[in-house]
Amino acid sequence: MQAMVVIKMKTKRGQLKIQQMTIMLLAVTLFFVLAGMLVLVTQVSSLKAKSTIIQSDNAKLLVSKISDSPEFSCGSSFGTDMGSCVDADKVFNLKNLISEYGNGNFWGVEGLQIRKIYPDNNQTECTSSNFPNCDVITLIPGNGTGVSNFVSLCGEYNLNGQIFSRCDLAKVIVSYTGS
Amino acid sequence: MRMKKRGFMEISFAWLFAIIAGAVILVLAIFAATKIINIGQYSTGAQTQNQIAVLLNPLETSFQTGEVTSIGITQNTRIYNQCDDASGIFGNQIISTSQQSLGKWSTPTNGAAFQNKYIFSGNVVEGQQFYLFSKPFDFPFKISDVIYMTSSLTNYCFVNPPSNIQDELTKLNEQNLQLTNDTQTCPGTSLKVCFSGEKCDINVNYVRGTVSQSSSNNSTVLFYGDALMYGAIFSDKTVYECQLKRLMERETQLSSLYIDKANTISKIGCNSNLISDLTQLGSMSNSFAGSASINGLASFTNKIQQENDMSGSAGSCKLW
Repeated sequence: MQAMVVIKMKTKRGQLKIQQMTIMLLAVTLFFVLAGMLVLVTQVSSLKAKSTIIQSDNAKLLVSKISDSPEFSCGSSFGTDMGSCVDADKVFNLKNLISEYGNGNFWGVEGLQIRKIYPDNNQTECTSSNFPNCDVITLIPGNGTGVSNFVSLCGEYNLNGQIFSRCDLAKVIVSYTGS
Repeated sequence: MRMKKRGFMEISFAWLFAIIAGAVILVLAIFAATKIINIGQYSTGAQTQNQIAVLLNPLETSFQTGEVTSIGITQNTRIYNQCDDASGIFGNQIISTSQQSLGKWSTPTNGAAFQNKYIFSGNVVEGQQFYLFSKPFDFPFKISDVIYMTSSLTNYCFVNPPSNIQDELTKLNEQNLQLTNDTQTCPGTSLKVCFSGEKCDINVNYVRGTVSQSSSNNSTVLFYGDALMYGAIFSDKTVYECQLKRLMERETQLSSLYIDKANTISKIGCNSNLISDLTQLGSMSNSFAGSASINGLASFTNKIQQENDMSGSAGSCKLW
């Protein structure tokens, strides 16, 4: 009888130890899981921030050079070689072909707009028929953050049967997702 | 005796449980740590590849001038230059990277794809310092700026190049591009680029427009203009042919844009007689098979360029 009580006591003490150890092991595992999750969350948020910085850098550098891209550049079509110059006649037609340029994927942008600075024509969208009496050429409508750069917007127009080239000061606005 | 032996081998259940559970936790922790390190390396590689791509933007040029830049990376890096001429209208320039950490190269990143970039280099460029320069490729109008990427670990020794190439390389002032009149004076480890018929690593026939590389069994590629000549020198044959095809794909699109422009300005009385030529140019570039057919296309583009240059008088406008 005495021996059976000793065995039961020993078994109970043993079970208690196993329970303690299980709880301890679970606690350690939980600690590692939580620590891992914390590391992952921190990494993901820093990665997101870095991705936004890269997109912003890309937009800033792109906007300063996009006017030299052959789809926009004036080249020598207005008499002399012109840098930082956007050919309006090309851009009107590019607007019709923009789906072939992946709606901005080609340059890696969300939105692309060319906005004349002066004179104001009530925010009229430019077409080949109303140029130069207009304000904006929206190639890709975009809602993201915008960065801009000054360019000359040049085009040909007919005045009383004579063809003239005209250049206006404009802004190229490139937008990207993120803030 | 028997009892003593059993006691010696006996391990209580608590110990057994602790050992197994501890081992499982340790294995899981090591597995997680390895995964986190790999993900960290991969994300660093992905950031590097995107930063490289961003740095390519300033290489867009206005006119005949070249642009130069260099990229310094703290870790030893491999840049993989993959060219895909089959997807979409413009094909893709894919850049992926792999970085060395504790003597081990990380898995190459998935790669960032760009439709508007054309990089001429080997399939894999390795180092910590990379030199990049660009030149506009006009055919006959500007198609794009093409970018040449080399590593500071690979030196090129240009032997007897034509004077215009000499001037250009001098202005570029890239540390891994040397000029000399004799192959004997080239540094031992450099790749010799010869223009005078010697047997070198890379042989250029500037008059006939051919480049052959000993590394690719002296197979020859054809070029037209200096922009493509540099491309043929600095890149593998597969990369060169693929990028050339992509440039021709862009030429097809630009031809159609110039045809539309010609139609638009003709409505205001500014006529252009280039529409039929541009239509033909578009279909020729669309069916472009490889560098072997570049000379036929080049003579046609010369004719179009002359016609465009003659425009600009009354009632006629230049298209580019």
